[in-house]
Amino acid sequence: MSLLEVNDLSISFGHKKVVDAVSFTLNKGERIGLIGESGSGKSMTSLAIMGLLPDTATVSGSITFEGKELIGLSDKEHSKLRGDRIGMVFQEPLTALNPLMRIGKQIAGPLMIHRGATLKEGLVKALELCVKVGLPDPERIVRAYPHQLSGGQRQRIGLAIALACEPALLIADEPTTALDVTVQREVLNLINSLVDQEGSALVFVTHDLPVVSIMTENIAVMQLGKIVENASVASLFQNPRHEYSKRLISAARVAEDAFSQGGGK
Amino acid sequence: MRKLFKGNISLIAGLSMISFTFFLLILSYIWTPFDPLEVNPDDSFAGVSATHILGADNFGRDILSQIIVGSRVTLLVAALSVTIAMSLGVSMGLAIAVAKRAYQSPMIYAVNIALAFPAALLAIILAAVYGASTLTAVSAIGIATAAAVAQVTRRTAAGILSSDFVLAAHASGASTWWIVRKHVMPNLRASLLIQASAAVSISVLAESSLSYLGLGTPPPAPSWGRMLAGSQQYLFVNPLLAIWPGIVIVIVVLGFNLLGDGVREAFDPTLRRSET
Repeated sequence: MSLLEVNDLSISFGHKKVVDAVSFTLNKGERIGLIGESGSGKSMTSLAIMGLLPDTATVSGSITFEGKELIGLSDKEHSKLRGDRIGMVFQEPLTALNPLMRIGKQIAGPLMIHRGATLKEGLVKALELCVKVGLPDPERIVRAYPHQLSGGQRQRIGLAIALACEPALLIADEPTTALDVTVQREVLNLINSLVDQEGSALVFVTHDLPVVSIMTENIAVMQLGKIVENASVASLFQNPRHEYSKRLISAARVAEDAFSQGGGK
Repeated sequence: MRKLFKGNISLIAGLSMISFTFFLLILSYIWTPFDPLEVNPDDSFAGVSATHILGADNFGRDILSQIIVGSRVTLLVAALSVTIAMSLGVSMGLAIAVAKRAYQSPMIYAVNIALAFPAALLAIILAAVYGASTLTAVSAIGIATAAAVAQVTRRTAAGILSSDFVLAAHASGASTWWIVRKHVMPNLRASLLIQASAAVSISVLAESSLSYLGLGTPPPAPSWGRMLAGSQQYLFVNPLLAIWPGIVIVIVVLGFNLLGDGVREAFDPTLRRSET
């Protein structure tokens, strides 16, 4: 049985269809990249898995996770999975953290919600998680407020919160888009190694082809709410079938060429 | 503790002014120069002197004694009406903010209607039904202020609820109750403090106006508002009669406003000067 099975998922707001008959499956420990331009429906797909779509959205199709149907699941039942079996990392690490709450308490949150941990136990675990996501001086970090940390540090905190309950599935929604290029690579490597270590499956949402190609073995290319191509990284690069995939690859190559030419001078 | 006060002039000034008012309150139970209700025709319109430090009014009652005892009514009204306004207003505002979309608009309309209803009219109705007393004044001020508090709370809470960190908290499996307690309330605190301090000022002023109109604390219990009202007739004969209660009202109102500012500054970690 696969871990996550998305079947014929459609999401619309009024008459506007933002996700159109999307299907993919993900086995335990597997990774998939959802790539597409903004408005292609990749974020909406991940929010649908989390059950965090706005009230105004109408959803059809099916999403099964660990054999459980998620579409039409009550919010209460869905919230038992969120943060526990499914973790999520957000795009903006600053706004995704409560500005008035110390970091330690925020990391302890999921443990207190799902594991019945007391604040004290949660804070002890928060220290361990800080070390795990490679933050130096965890005692200082857990006492700090979000504005006292750098972008990269904040995204590591976001990762620590998402992984606090050792989820079977991690959804990363453009986790490095808001970061400096130098920090991006570090955070990507960290996600790579932690997902390996935990044996979690990964849904990696991005618009950046080079980034997704180092993160996942399979890529689903999305355009206007549809998956237009679903292929392994190698076959996508060697033999892109859809017009939009070809454009994505040539855009990435242009950037690479420009970079290597600039370096040669 | 010292760090809290360092450079926070609003907090220091506000606290000093409020302490002064509370000092008057405590003093009123211990000592007053005269019985504030003692009528003494010989001293009518007595000026500032060693006997009557702040002078005496038309009946020869000692002004200082009246001001000291008047602090009771003012602070009682402020405390009670702000408690009513904040508890009613904040719970209504939060309830509307977390309610389902379909229930929100009728609730918002209800608050707007309550807001449009003049507080003085409410006070007149209550006074007509139950007789003018401190309690009717407190209820009228409390209910009228609650509508304003509810509206500001709802708007601020709605903004917080639509922020990314609330979405992230949902993604961590948090319930609505958890989010309200751990995320909305702390982020609402600064706005609530400002509202509470403003509500104190408003209710002190409103109590003065209601007493002035004869809708508040009935005579002869001294009240700063009624002292002002009484002094009106003698404004040209003895302007000092209006100045003394005016000064203490200004001190209380200003004190609570400054306290609100100072506390907000002290509690907002992004405004704090030095901490790692």
